[in-house]
Amino acid sequence: MPKMAFAILIGLVTIPLAWADKAGEDFFERSVRPILAEQCMGCHGAKIQKSSLRLDSKAAILKGGISGPVVIPGKPSESLLVQAIHQKGELKMPQGRKLSSKDINSLEKWVAMGLPWPDENSLAQPSNQQSHWAFSPIRKPKAPSQYGMHPIDAFIQKTLQEKQIKPSPQADKRTLIRRITMDLHGIPPSPEAVKDFSNSKSPKAYEELIDQLLGSTAYGERWARHWLDIARYADNKGYVFFEEKNYPWAWTYRNYVIDALNQDLPYNQFIIEQIAADQSSTRNPKSLAALGFLTVGSHFMGNTHDLIDDRIDVISRGIMGLTVSCARCHDHKYDPIPTEDYYSLYGIFRSSFEPLVPPLWETEPANEEYEFFSAELARKENSLSDFVTQKHRELVKQARERCADYLFAAYEAQKQPPADDFMLLADKGDLNPAMIARWRAFLATTKKKKSPAWQLWHQLSDLEMEQFAQASPALIQDYRENRLVSEAFKTIPKDMKEVAQRYGKLILNAERVWLESPSKEPLADKHLEELRLVLYGPDSPADAPKQMDWGFLSLLPDRASQAEYQKLIKEVETKLNEGPPRSMVLWDSERTYDPRVFLRGHPNRQGIQVPRQFLEILSPRRKPFTQGSGRLELAKAIASRENPLTARVIVNQVWMRHFGRGLVSTPGDFGVRGDPPSHPELLDWLASEFMDNGWSLKKLHKLILTSATYQQESMDRDDCLQKDPENRFLWRQNRRRLEFEPLHDSMLFVSGRLETTVGGPSFRLFTGVPRKALYGFIDRLDFPSLLATFDVPNPNASNPERSSTIVAPQALYLMNGPFVRDAATRLLNAPNIRTASTAKDKLENIMQAMFSRSPSPGEMERALEFLGQGNQQEAWLDLVHGLFLTNEFAFVD
Amino acid sequence: MFAWSRRDALKRCGTGMGMLALGTMLADQSQGSEIDTNPLAPKKPHFEAKAKHVVHLFMNGGPSQVDTFDPKPALDKYHGKPLPRTNLRTERKTGAAMRSPFSFKKHGQSGIEVSEIFEATAKHVDDMCIIRSMYADVPNHEPSLMLMNCGEGRLPRPSFGAWATYGLGSENRNLPGFVVMCPGGFPIVATQNWRSSFLPGVYQGTYLDTKQTDVEKLVANIRNTQMSPARQEKQLNLLKAFNEEHLNNRKADAQLEARIRTFELAFRMQSEATDAFDITRETKTTRELYGDNLHGRQLLYTRRLIERGVRFIQVWSGAGQPWDNHDNLEKQHRKLAGDWDRAISAFLFDLKRTGLFDSTLVLWGGEFGRTPVAELPALNGRDHNHYGFSCWLAGGGVRGGTIVGATDEFGFQAVENPVHVHDLHATMLHLLGFDHEKLTYRYAGRDFRLTDVHGHVVKEMLA
Repeated sequence: MPKMAFAILIGLVTIPLAWADKAGEDFFERSVRPILAEQCMGCHGAKIQKSSLRLDSKAAILKGGISGPVVIPGKPSESLLVQAIHQKGELKMPQGRKLSSKDINSLEKWVAMGLPWPDENSLAQPSNQQSHWAFSPIRKPKAPSQYGMHPIDAFIQKTLQEKQIKPSPQADKRTLIRRITMDLHGIPPSPEAVKDFSNSKSPKAYEELIDQLLGSTAYGERWARHWLDIARYADNKGYVFFEEKNYPWAWTYRNYVIDALNQDLPYNQFIIEQIAADQSSTRNPKSLAALGFLTVGSHFMGNTHDLIDDRIDVISRGIMGLTVSCARCHDHKYDPIPTEDYYSLYGIFRSSFEPLVPPLWETEPANEEYEFFSAELARKENSLSDFVTQKHRELVKQARERCADYLFAAYEAQKQPPADDFMLLADKGDLNPAMIARWRAFLATTKKKKSPAWQLWHQLSDLEMEQFAQASPALIQDYRENRLVSEAFKTIPKDMKEVAQRYGKLILNAERVWLESPSKEPLADKHLEELRLVLYGPDSPADAPKQMDWGFLSLLPDRASQAEYQKLIKEVETKLNEGPPRSMVLWDSERTYDPRVFLRGHPNRQGIQVPRQFLEILSPRRKPFTQGSGRLELAKAIASRENPLTARVIVNQVWMRHFGRGLVSTPGDFGVRGDPPSHPELLDWLASEFMDNGWSLKKLHKLILTSATYQQESMDRDDCLQKDPENRFLWRQNRRRLEFEPLHDSMLFVSGRLETTVGGPSFRLFTGVPRKALYGFIDRLDFPSLLATFDVPNPNASNPERSSTIVAPQALYLMNGPFVRDAATRLLNAPNIRTASTAKDKLENIMQAMFSRSPSPGEMERALEFLGQGNQQEAWLDLVHGLFLTNEFAFVD
Repeated sequence: MFAWSRRDALKRCGTGMGMLALGTMLADQSQGSEIDTNPLAPKKPHFEAKAKHVVHLFMNGGPSQVDTFDPKPALDKYHGKPLPRTNLRTERKTGAAMRSPFSFKKHGQSGIEVSEIFEATAKHVDDMCIIRSMYADVPNHEPSLMLMNCGEGRLPRPSFGAWATYGLGSENRNLPGFVVMCPGGFPIVATQNWRSSFLPGVYQGTYLDTKQTDVEKLVANIRNTQMSPARQEKQLNLLKAFNEEHLNNRKADAQLEARIRTFELAFRMQSEATDAFDITRETKTTRELYGDNLHGRQLLYTRRLIERGVRFIQVWSGAGQPWDNHDNLEKQHRKLAGDWDRAISAFLFDLKRTGLFDSTLVLWGGEFGRTPVAELPALNGRDHNHYGFSCWLAGGGVRGGTIVGATDEFGFQAVENPVHVHDLHATMLHLLGFDHEKLTYRYAGRDFRLTDVHGHVVKEMLA
């Protein structure tokens, strides 16, 4: 039986040991937690505790509420909670409805099981999770003292010694230069470079090689690709309805990343610029393009909330290895991220917007052509702006004048299934569906806030139609919160339509009084003022925000206005695309948005207000942000030395790209459920050293590459396989399969065709353009299956790690596609190969170009045999094509 | 001789941590002893499956339930008049009731009524389970397509086909596990309908433009145009020799071995795939049975692919949204159904004839249905309707000759035993042998599943 299968069996055997706990916890997670979260915690959670009862932790449940303990573990029939959900006795829960029999059974079973609950603290008390290694401050440990040893090796050796494993010897020079060149440039070294390095006797040769490779622009290109995975880079928006699908200038962001890496921009500054280049002191105008980090994501069909979620995800999971998005609908299940913190971040991005006309990437061209272009563009912008201003005015005017109609429509809409998430079409002159939704949301807020003027409305609107006549007089009689409303209801209305009309009249009356007042100050009569604010307050449903982007379309539900708006906005976009490139920026909005928690992620179910601020777990002494959207403050908090995650996450990323695996093997999840580091002290030492070295990535590379650990051979050793089959403790290097880009680029390079121009617009892949794959157009909407086949990650979300699969369609492409064939043809045309006098010389030169080595006697024999007698040209072509398919070409030792 | 760690194996097999969720199945897999390095290797589900393959006939655009599988005589009565209830809000404005322009007839022993436009399909009604109480979330195409295909209307999630292939692998290592056919281009939201999202790329649907009939245009890189098969074989033998020497110098490495094998696989795949799409190998009788049209050809490919062990096949009506008949519904629906009817009937017949019916789960339906009231202003078509619509299942493990649920008397809204798209998914996964709550994949800190936190298996659909 092969060893691997054996390893898997061992893995399985360990599962049952923890099974009893695990099964209970799994059952809880699967069948109980959702019920508690969805059905119970609305009234018995962190925010509200009806009857002083909380159901969000095991301790709280055991403690119980005003009726005492609600659960006796193991005894469902004696537990109040179980009695209540059966609704047979006096106490019936949840109020006004009944759980499904499946849910009842689950809760009963859970009580019978003795209340299994995975992590005592995971729902309610974040503070206790600060002990999780990744959330504790980074302190620089001392490297284990070993005379003259590289600190990395000292850490690695310490663990190896404990495990009684010896490290592997240094790899030979050819292997080393291939490995390091591939790691830093994504292409193999030239035969000359290999020769020079192999022949050099200088003790400094290796270090000089590192410096030389890090000094080349090819370094920035190779490592930009890694960063673009994290930044979910693509050249278009994904599926969108009407707007332009492409990002014509996404490449300016790619250029920014390449340049920043090549200039060794300190990583903390690199982060700050990508989140708030518009507000941090800019090095040069082009650094505004850094904001592409936030803006090159998917457009989610224009859904603002998803767009913001994507930005929260890219900064949290991408930069900090923290899965904050999990807290969009409820507190994070495992990590100490309350849903309030999610909406604190949400508020920051909601207070930012992408301008329709972004700033120029380079300085403004001073020529007539550009002046002309500029004037044209301004004219088109003005037409759009005029249209929006006019439509917006009409919209607000109509919403005010017809507030009674809107109130009634909002009431009626409650009888319909919720339609807030639809795109609805209407006719000109109709009530506007998007505005009806705003009135509905407004009414919901007044109910929650118990706004005095609206108490009566809610009491009446809660009545069934049949009870209205009978029940309304008593309610009206008892109502006295707002004097003016009381007065308006001296007579009994016959139905809700009339109620709406009376409210409408009251509101318009308040408006009139105010409009006639000379000062336009808030009205002194607070009852009147309350009614005026319905139309003029900060949350007024009538005052929809004016936007000059595609989001405004939803406020124009009739086809004719939509068509006109689309035409105008398209004209601006088209014109823009004719002009010079622009940076994909994000600006702060004029009016900041004060976020509220969206209950269960639903924008129309708003909970408490939260400040714009950073995550508590990473910044216990945080203060609400005060400058505009707060993006710069956020950026600084993320890139702060005090933040326990940022430095750890990036040194782990860099380590992973040099060893095929991170010290933390879940680079996108440093939370409680992620893998703990294999070498926690080394990780912290590296992170501290990195920050001490001015957050220099190049110094970090050099530090890692000069270690003996990195330079080891990658051969397996039987003695170690038993002790550490996964090579967790690094007793050798890991052999790695090339990703798609270096494979692609290496073929072009070896065949002498690779273009080395750095930066610029994207080209269409697989069309014969000999540029690095980095510059290929990434189509988010129609992500090429060939790229997916080669594990290029889908840019729908941040990708801190690639999978590495080996499947037949990869082979099919290499065997039959024109790309490799073409590379083979060109390589055969290289001067020293074309003119080689003997087959042996020719093969020697081919092998040197591809693998930096001579053929072995066995290889030579087989190749000559293959060439045989037939058509020599064809045979050579087949042979070289075959060599491009070898494992030697596709792997780095 | 293998030197892969368990983690490596899981990761390189492309299943990542998610495979651990399938842990139980590994334990059952002992007879094979060698864990395959191919992420598409067949895997056992949670429990014995009724169906091994899925064929999803996607009527994109949204076929009208009241004109196909959900007759509503009350519409005749109210035709041209407003319904006695407020019209539910859909994407566009709608007006008075609109009767079906088609007649319905009882079929089979079950006596289920089916519209005349699916008369041939109706011959199989005793093998079909018609769900008349489907409902979705919104009346817009994009989110509804994503919900039907990926179990989520907005956020990027893997498609059903990707989940099924992830869970079951494929029985044919020379063909993709998940094949998508759509003639003439993409449906709305394009490749998102069959994406693998955070599942490894190998589980993504392989798209074929079935307007093409030439296999080389149908499957990318399937044939080498430069070399004869004999020459290619010789080349690959040389490659193997070089690779073996390389491997010997490095002792052992399962990754290297796996890659050596992929070239052998790919070589075989060339003839296998070419063969699968060569319908000239079918008898004349069979070809005539399916009919000489696009859908006939698509479904004949489908049967040949199922025969070869492909796990999940999705067949679309066409690019864009053909069934989206806001106006001229009578003419359009008649034509669309006409194009499908014979082919579907032949396909079901052929599955039974070849013994594949019991192991194949066939789903027919759109992303939603249509309103029983006419759309303004044309008044000869229907708007989108997600409140109630029909779809049907047939084949492996499905209770034939049944109707599940019902819409209101006009066919506007599911009122009896409503079946959400999540419930349909849960039930289909059940038929494939999965507990839909346990088929999970760990991604970004969470265990994801097709049905998210929803879904119930609908027992009435099961045989």
